[in-house]
Amino acid sequence: MSYYDIDSILTDAEKIPCTFQVDIPDLGYLDNTPTQPLKAGTKVNLPLWLAEMLAIANTGDAEGKSFVTFDLPPALGNDVVQALKADPRAVPLRDQSAHFYGLATHMMELSEEQELAAALRKTFVTRASEVALHARKVGGVGHKGKADEGSNLGIGGAGEEFLRGLDEWERKLFRKAHDGAKSGKEWMEGVKKH
Amino acid sequence: MPMYGDQGNKLVQHAKRTQNLAHLPPYQTELVRAVTREVRDLDKDVASLLEPFQGSFDPSADQATACTLLVNHLSMRRNKRCLLAYHRTRTDKLEELIWSGSDVLDLAGQQAGGANGGAPAADSGASSSLSPQEEDYFRQYGDLLAAYKGQWTDIDLTGSLEPPRDLFIDVRVLKDAGEIQTEYGAINLTKNSQFYVRQGDVERLIAQGYLQKLG
Repeated sequence: MSYYDIDSILTDAEKIPCTFQVDIPDLGYLDNTPTQPLKAGTKVNLPLWLAEMLAIANTGDAEGKSFVTFDLPPALGNDVVQALKADPRAVPLRDQSAHFYGLATHMMELSEEQELAAALRKTFVTRASEVALHARKVGGVGHKGKADEGSNLGIGGAGEEFLRGLDEWERKLFRKAHDGAKSGKEWMEGVKKH
Repeated sequence: MPMYGDQGNKLVQHAKRTQNLAHLPPYQTELVRAVTREVRDLDKDVASLLEPFQGSFDPSADQATACTLLVNHLSMRRNKRCLLAYHRTRTDKLEELIWSGSDVLDLAGQQAGGANGGAPAADSGASSSLSPQEEDYFRQYGDLLAAYKGQWTDIDLTGSLEPPRDLFIDVRVLKDAGEIQTEYGAINLTKNSQFYVRQGDVERLIAQGYLQKLG
């Protein structure tokens, strides 16, 4: 991911629950009490760009303690993961986080949750094929004859619901798959004409 | 809870919206100023935090200060990234517009005329949606591109990549474009008139939105 990548910057703004391990007089504002010192043990939601470095920075203390410890954000909490294990297609990821996979990959880099990683991989694979399926339908590719660009014949009801729940990454995938199918079709028609 | 980096985030959300637009929305002067101000404030904080140590700060001896410094530093770095990404998104868009043949005046007109800008709104004294620096960038990039294109007089680098189906096309004039010279003599392009012309002669005018191709 590039330094200038807008989606990557927005992903870094996602907040995760952190617990401070040290008393810090000047950071009370992070807990909404600017005049009070921040006590060790205070729980604060911090954006990834801050939490990540605070969690891995060395405090210089002999026990190798870091400034904060963090937990998994609610978007990757037990409820969501159980639902994903049951049926990945039934969970609107966007409601959990617009950058669900970005957030998830970040968290996987910071912690070793083998089981969660496996569940996420399965989620992506299952949903990706579903995304591809919808992308082919929209715009009439595969509807011979009455194919009309922009017509939404292919999706309806459950399909629309599913597409609304796509996270930012899946949306990109959808757009690429859709544009690809469309250009392919246009090219084929061009070939026939000449 | 307002926090360092929040303003920067707003700026990036603007950039995100810009990516999906055909035109360039107004430059966020206020927001950019707020973010740079935040960086300056943070820098002052760091300087005053470090002052009592006279250049001999030991992070392991004073963890609380070390952590505050780290938070301040990360916030500045975050703001820098937001600022750079915002401006880069806009310059990318500007370059795209130059390659497709738009000019700065067109952009100002679009902004005054609302989303579609169908009406001739250019002369209503609208302020440009570009910052002065961006206008400069736009002009100079345009000059660079012109100089680059000048090396090959028989190829139009910004011309359409689609091979033309017909040499001659019907066009309708959307905005007065004055008189143009063609191989077949001069044509006076006045609004709402129609012409049958050689495509190569008017391609630029179509790209700039003066003419509309018919059929």
